[in-house]
Amino acid sequence: MADPVTLVTGASSGIGEALARRLARERHDLVLTARRADRLEALAHELEAAHGIKTHVVTADLSRPGAPTELVQQIEARGLAVHWLVNNAGFGTGGRFDELPVEGEVQEIRLNVTAPVELTGRLLPGMMARGRGVVMNLSSTAGFGPMPFSATYGATKAFLLSFSEALAVEVAGSGVHIVCVCPGFTRTEFQQKANIDTSALPDFAWMSAETVADQAVRAANRSGVLVNGTMNSLTTVFMRLAPRSLVARMVAATMRGGA
Amino acid sequence: MAREIALVTGASSGIGDALARRLARDGLHLGLVARRADRLEALAAELRAAHRIEVHVLPSDLTKPGAVAALVDDVVARGLDVDWLVNNAGFGTVGLFHAMPVERELEEITLNVEVLVELTGRLLPPMVRRGRGVVMNIASVGAYLPSPHMATYTATKAFVLSFSEAIAVELQDTGVRVLCVCPGVTRTEFQDRANVETGHVPDMLQQTAEDVADEAVRAVGHGAVVVNGLLNRATLGLLKFVPHALVTRIAGRLVRPREA
Repeated sequence: MADPVTLVTGASSGIGEALARRLARERHDLVLTARRADRLEALAHELEAAHGIKTHVVTADLSRPGAPTELVQQIEARGLAVHWLVNNAGFGTGGRFDELPVEGEVQEIRLNVTAPVELTGRLLPGMMARGRGVVMNLSSTAGFGPMPFSATYGATKAFLLSFSEALAVEVAGSGVHIVCVCPGFTRTEFQQKANIDTSALPDFAWMSAETVADQAVRAANRSGVLVNGTMNSLTTVFMRLAPRSLVARMVAATMRGGA
Repeated sequence: MAREIALVTGASSGIGDALARRLARDGLHLGLVARRADRLEALAAELRAAHRIEVHVLPSDLTKPGAVAALVDDVVARGLDVDWLVNNAGFGTVGLFHAMPVERELEEITLNVEVLVELTGRLLPPMVRRGRGVVMNIASVGAYLPSPHMATYTATKAFVLSFSEAIAVELQDTGVRVLCVCPGVTRTEFQDRANVETGHVPDMLQQTAEDVADEAVRAVGHGAVVVNGLLNRATLGLLKFVPHALVTRIAGRLVRPREA
């Protein structure tokens, strides 16, 4: 019998790291994946020592075609079965789409969209056969409406939200839960890397990665969409009900306001 | 001066074919892209004869790595400027996601999402420099309605809708117009290939590819999105006020694989 593990992608920082820590506290054995081996190793040692769990570090660039399937093969070769899949790895680009290098946009799609679908496609059949499991997809409040000046990013998150919602209905009653987590602004390395200036945002608009991770893990006992925080929940209700062209203009003003 | 064309992907059938015909009637020169060269050649010959336009046949399997860059190189080598980009190529798979081959789902994402973004990324900068152009992206009402049994397909269309709406705002002062077209159930080869049952969708909700193409071309310059058909527009308007999870469950009952 294969040992059950939780796979966390993008575990070297931000919400992924916070999720790994939160799940370690729940005594999940972990497979930690990201590109940066040193950071993963340090985290793995720390969590093993603190919680007496087993960890496995697999470095991978999941934006490379075929990498997600290779990752699954490596996990299986170690005699492990993924019971929880946390599709967290992702990045955002900021700027006017026509001025951004197209290669980066394509890479963003491969990491944010293709890799989660590929991992889900490889790992969900096993969960269905076992009659239990969790697929947690990290989307964003940006998934609820267009995001000018981060057009590709918002669209990748809209993909994950739609995909998760449809999948949740497909697997209803199977014992497998599909959880789509939609944080708003979260204090991580993300904004800096995406070249998004968020200095104009008030403090109350922000959440910590730890809070997001805690809420996400608590929400995993059933399928559904979790929007983190009351402010963000109200925002997404507005985004769904208001005319989308108005939402687009408002988001554009926010994104430009920081520039 | 370079010849300006409308580049239509997936032009060999369905809405792509109808859009090519509709644009030819307006006198636009065309670049037709699809895998099936013979069908493109036949369409090109017909449109050249009927409308005295230039039609370039550009066969390509856009899902192949490097295919988009090669297509753009081909267009440039022929001395053409793309004034209209019609991102129509796409396909849908129908069935329970966990029971379908992953490879096909990934190919669907490549064609419906990645190719669309890459082609737009490569052809948009010259349009912005010229201060005019049209990017028309074909999504679906499924963009608004996550549909079980079509989880990947409707997610790709949610991507296209969000992406189009965002770049429409980004480009509003550039002279380049962006339109996202969201057809409902349209009578094309699509349903056969996707193996989806649409017999239970009322006739009044079904449109022809010609209707969709005509409505799309006339909608350019009037907002970022057109949902085809009054009934589809009304339905989506009402569904906004129904809990999303319930709508998704209903969509799962309406969209289902054809019985074998």
